[in-house]
Amino acid sequence: MFSERELERYKRQMMLFGEEGQERLNKAHIFIAGAGGLGSPVSIYLAVAGVGTITIIDMDVVDGTNLNRQILHYDRDIGRKKTASAEEKLQEFNPDIIINAIDVKIDASNAKKLVGNADGIVDAMDNYPTRYLLNDVAMVKQIPFFHGGIRGFYGQATTIIPGSTPCLKCIFPKAPPGEEFPVVGVTAGIIGTIQSNEVIKYLTGSGDLLTNRLFIWDGMQAHAEEICIERNPSCEACGGRGKKKIAGKKK
Amino acid sequence: MWWQRKEENSREEEMTVKIRFFAQFRELLGSDIITEVPAGTMFTLLITSVVKKNPQGYAAIFDETGAFHEFVILMKNGKRIDIADADRTVIVDGDEVAVFPPVAGG
Repeated sequence: MFSERELERYKRQMMLFGEEGQERLNKAHIFIAGAGGLGSPVSIYLAVAGVGTITIIDMDVVDGTNLNRQILHYDRDIGRKKTASAEEKLQEFNPDIIINAIDVKIDASNAKKLVGNADGIVDAMDNYPTRYLLNDVAMVKQIPFFHGGIRGFYGQATTIIPGSTPCLKCIFPKAPPGEEFPVVGVTAGIIGTIQSNEVIKYLTGSGDLLTNRLFIWDGMQAHAEEICIERNPSCEACGGRGKKKIAGKKK
Repeated sequence: MWWQRKEENSREEEMTVKIRFFAQFRELLGSDIITEVPAGTMFTLLITSVVKKNPQGYAAIFDETGAFHEFVILMKNGKRIDIADADRTVIVDGDEVAVFPPVAGG
């Protein structure tokens, strides 16, 4: 049951998906990998929408160069752990939800445990090796993986449902080289809000998901389009079936 | 115009294809490029012929041996083309090809 305060807070969106939809959001646990450019809008919008439990992971400290896009962090947070800054802001956005902010580097040894019992993983990472690890965890746990990527004025997003859509490795089998990428904050805002929108639709059972399609945003042309994507029958991550045992030590 | 169309049809050795670049490839090379190439041109040669005059664009897409970087995604008429097959994938008149990188920032 929601408190009076919560009923008021969520009134305008319960007009869309009812108290039942709001209950689903409230019972959900979403794992956000990264509290940076994408992680900021993703976590803010999921927090204000009332996703009951948000786990957000980051290993970095807020740097002055982050502030053009990482809207969770303020000027006063420079030098502070991103997780501490994120937890404080998200809890202020919505005191009625649980925020787990974990200061750790996601790697093969901890990825599965960190994701735990989450209902979905949001990809707010800035590199493909970690994305591939999370893709693997999503396959093993059979939970959706909401992919996003940004560079400059360009961005991309897709929703991966294990067992029914291509996985990240089907779409992008090889990682591009790492770089200090140029970016404007609005690109993170556009792609991050698309990812949040997907999570909200998935949890409330609303609309059609961004599945089997790669959404591509060109901010220079103010033009969005999509490319049809297919499973790769010989995909090394999902074998085209969307299931795979995650690599790593067995206890 | 009809008379131009007739003239184009008579030039059987040339064909018109559209190349679409995305993200940073688009930044370097432009978005939609309509080009004429000889009939029977293969995918790799088509892209090479268009990007070779742009050293930065070339280096973004091809390695020093002239092969596509392994992370580059190739599509022809909405269907994925394996990099390993690009050398022997024939382009025909009216084809639309796409070349894009995985966008990695977050």
